[in-house]
This record gives sequence, C-alpha cells and structure tokens, in this order.
Amino acid sequence: MTDRLERMLNLTATLLDTRRPLTLEELAERLEPAYPAEKVARRRSFERDKETLRDLGVPISVEMVDELGGEAGYRIHPEDYYLPDLGLGDEERAALHVAVTAVRLEGGAAQAGLRKLGGIEGAAAPPVAQLEVTPALADCFDAVAKRRTLEFDYRGEARVLEPYGVVHRFGHWYVVGRDRVRDAPRSFRVDRIEGKPLAGAVRAFEPPPDVDPAAFLRADPLSYGDEAPIDALVLVDATRAAWVVDDLGADAAVEGRDGGAVVVQLRVVNREAFRTWVLGLLEHAEVLAPPELRTDIVAWLEALSGGAT
Amino acid sequence: MLALVPWILANPGSTLPAIAERFEIDERELERDLELLPMCGLPPYTADRLIDVWVGDDGAVSIRLAEYFERPLRLTPAEGLALLAAGRALLAVPGSDSAGPLATALEKLERALGATGGVAVHVGNADHLDALRSATDAGEQVELDYYSFARDEMTTRVVDPGRVFNAAGAWYLAGYCFRAEADRVFRVDRVRAVRSTGEPVVAHPGTPDGEGDLVYRAGPDDLRVRLLLGPEAAWVADSLPVESRKGRSRGRVEVVLAASGDAFLERLLLGLGTSATVLDPPEASALVSAAAQRVLARYAAS
Repeated sequence: MTDRLERMLNLTATLLDTRRPLTLEELAERLEPAYPAEKVARRRSFERDKETLRDLGVPISVEMVDELGGEAGYRIHPEDYYLPDLGLGDEERAALHVAVTAVRLEGGAAQAGLRKLGGIEGAAAPPVAQLEVTPALADCFDAVAKRRTLEFDYRGEARVLEPYGVVHRFGHWYVVGRDRVRDAPRSFRVDRIEGKPLAGAVRAFEPPPDVDPAAFLRADPLSYGDEAPIDALVLVDATRAAWVVDDLGADAAVEGRDGGAVVVQLRVVNREAFRTWVLGLLEHAEVLAPPELRTDIVAWLEALSGGAT
Repeated sequence: MLALVPWILANPGSTLPAIAERFEIDERELERDLELLPMCGLPPYTADRLIDVWVGDDGAVSIRLAEYFERPLRLTPAEGLALLAAGRALLAVPGSDSAGPLATALEKLERALGATGGVAVHVGNADHLDALRSATDAGEQVELDYYSFARDEMTTRVVDPGRVFNAAGAWYLAGYCFRAEADRVFRVDRVRAVRSTGEPVVAHPGTPDGEGDLVYRAGPDDLRVRLLLGPEAAWVADSLPVESRKGRSRGRVEVVLAASGDAFLERLLLGLGTSATVLDPPEASALVSAAAQRVLARYAAS
C-alpha cells in the first residue's frame, strides 16, 4: 500500500517535471518502487495508478510521442494541474468553512475542496440547510465552467444544450442555457436527465454578455411551458383564498365573491401543470373558464370517480 | 498529501498537531505520511532530488526540495460545485451579509474556475421565518396557527421550537408539539400566525439532537399504499421517498409509499389521473374516487 502511494507521488512529480511526453517504458525505467517487469502486469498497474490519479483530478494527458504517430506518451501540463493562487484571506477561508458546515451536501466534495484551498480555518457552524447533489450535476457544472455543450436524453427526446448555469430552485437542481435545436432558452431538471450527459469540446460557445442563470427560473413554476397560452379563471374558496393570492400575487385576483371567495386569473402554458395545481386545491377550487379547460378537468375527474355518484 | 504539502511549504514552522487539525486527519497518520515524503521526488532519487522533511524538537514541520508540490492540485468539478453551492446557499439565507468575506471568497473561486454566476441557489423566504428563528434562538415557546397540507386542515398548536432549517427548497421548524405530545416538523410557509406564549422552551425526553435527515419521516401507523405507475407517472418513484420500487413491463413501476395524510394521497392521485392505479389497500382506492366525486360535485352544481 505505501509502495503504491510512494510510486504515485513519484509518478506525479515525474510527469510534471518532463518537457516531453514519456512512454510507459521510459516511466517504468525511471520510477521507484518499480512497476512489474512483465508487460501485461506493468500496463495494468500503470492504468490503475493513472485512474486513481485522474479520479483525484490530476490531469494526465496522453499525447503522441512524435509526429510519426505510433507510441502514446504521458505527461502533466503544469498549467492544467495547479490551482491558481486565489488570493484567499484567512477571513474568506473561515467564511467558506462556515458555509461548508452550515449547508450539508452529501459526498464530502466540499470538504475535499476546502483542504485544497488550505484546510480548515475558524469554527464550524450548526447546520441550517441541506442540499442534494446528483452525479450528473458535477458534469453539468464542468460543462458550464468550460463552455462545453451537453448532449443528453430528456423525457425520451435527444437534447443539445449550451449550458449557462446550474440553479437550485423549488427543491431541485436545474441546468439552464440555450437549447441548440430549438434555438431558445430552456431549463432541465438535472435529476431527470436520462443517463450520463455527454460533454463536447471546451469553449464551444460564448454565453450572451449579461446572462443571469438565476433568472431563468421564474418564481412561478406554472409559467413554464411551450403550449399556446390560454387565460383561465379559477374560483377559490374563502378558506384557501389567502394562500392562493399569496402564491400567485395580488394581481391575479380579479374578483371577490361573497363570503371571501376569490376569482383568480392565470395564463396557462402547460395544461398538465395547471391541472395538477387546480386539483391540488381539491374541492376548494373550480375552473370557471374557458370551457375547454373546464371540460378537460371534468373528463379527468370522471375517469377517477369510479363511476358511482 | 497533494493538498498538505503546498500548505506546509507556505507556512513553515507549523507543528504536527496544528497541521493535523487544519486538515482533519489523525496525527499519527500525518506522521506516517510525512515519513513517506523523503522517499519521493524525481529520478535518479539521489539526495539532491529527494524531498527533504524534518520535524524539529518543538514539533515544527519543515519541507524542502518539493517544488513540484508547491501549489495544490486544482479543484475537481465536484469540489468546485460543492463549495459554490454551499456558499451560494448560505448567502441566500435571509440575514446573510451579501458583501462580506463569503461573498468575496465565492467571487474569487468563480473567477478561478471560469464559472462566474454559474451556480445559483434559491433558498426562499417565508412570512414567519424571522419570528421563528428569533424564538428558536431565544428558547421561547410559541403558539402557531398551522395549515396541515397533508390533512388539509387548520390547527393551533403550542410548540417548543428546536431548530429552523432549509431542505428541498423550503424552510422547516422542528420542535416539540404539545398537541401531538411528540416531535414534529412544520413547514414555515404554512404557518399563518406566530404568538409568543411567554414560556421558555423545556427539554423533552427523547428529543433527537437534530442531526439525521430533515423532512417527513413515515411513522409506523401511517397508511402504506401500493401503486402501479404508468410511464408518464414513473417520475414519482424518483421524486417522492418511496419505500420500495419494482420495475414492471412496458415502462411501468410499482412502488410502496407512506401517505402522510389523506389529503396528500388525494392530491397525488388526482394529479396523476389514470396513469397511476392503487393496487392496495382498497380504502386508498375508495379515498381517491370519493375525492374525485367531491370535486366533480362543484362542476355539476354550477
């Protein structure tokens, strides 16, 4: 175990030191403790070391040894390896420590990052929030930082996105950007991306100068959708009126009724979201207009009412 | 190691215990790892090419000849994301200093990663959040007018507040509810009013310290429902905490989930429509069709 650790440190130093890519033979000649002499075993040991180092974030690049092609050589480009000096002061590091202990994320990646930035500074904080992270999220963030396009399947359709940011709202992570196929801004739930998203070459696009990823998700999830907009009127009972007006905003209330009931107006661009919202109010709300949405709801409920009256 | 060595090089004279604390590793492990270093360096591994480590009598650690490890390894995407997400989330909590050291640290980090503005976290606010945070910090008992979403009813409860926290994009209060005579978790945005009772909070036997997972935890008496979800409803299996799931033919999924209240189940199933079927118990099926009929009655009447 310690042998392997020692060899990996030496491997890292050697690959950083070299001015040209080194072949596996050359590495085997130089490194101590030595790789196995037998070719297959040696290749396997080396591949394992390379994988482990890459998982840590060490950028080992594979390049042709000369223009004649043929053998692969390895090296680490210093500019890809080193963390630039961020110029973080003690107070800033302490603030990061507070953030990393007050906001709980699974996985320990935040703590690992903090160690690379110089370790623990200052006191820990009591937890005040919890955030979930999914594997695809780190891939999406990497694409955002390096301006790589993302290709993935979403709800059964293939999508190509120029990602501008990842946003956490309504309890979920979204990746937002420009959908290349539709040539329009879009947001996608990261946990609904099917499989691993494929990232393209770096610096493949330029985000618009004043883009604000946080603004992609407006406060109202009901305003999300591609369908032709319809204006709906919904009557809400007095017992739920205050909540609904709070949620939708005072402008949504277009009529007050006797006893405190209220009629609200909404622009529907996603009938599924609208239906879920109205039915979420159970018997305390009723769609008044337009007739097609009312008929829709009635048909939907009839299918669930078991036929009895 | 790749993180430690650069720091030690930049801060010569730090002691073993101080380094161990900063990087949260065991002192003995640190000692062992440092012993490894003098065998590392560049070929041909002669004295002038090996890393030099020594620990003085006062415990101070010095390292020389390790110029390749002078600067730490860059952050992986997962590490960068985690730091930015935690930082942005904390900045979004009402009352945070938007111009303080956390904000400047995040700006520096984002610039170095090429991800300025690339991570945003919305943590939300709620009408009575401040009042509940103050009461919790001051250890004051409160009386709440609370709307239970799962039961679709309004109740008034006396609560000893324990902790206010944010999870899944919403604010919660965990505390001891005198009405239920047990610990409960309340969503702050469903609190209609908060009043101080003037009593101090008291300790309650068996109250957990607040570590563990933060949201609805099914009790043994909550109704378990077995559902067959069609492909359009399969997302439920990933979005709600289901107790079991089984893939079925043609893209369907069978799940068992705990219902926190009748209204919860009614809302879920009315929303899913015919793309979900209740397999059992029969009471759950009856509950949903009764709810559908109640709502339909409004449309028949007008």
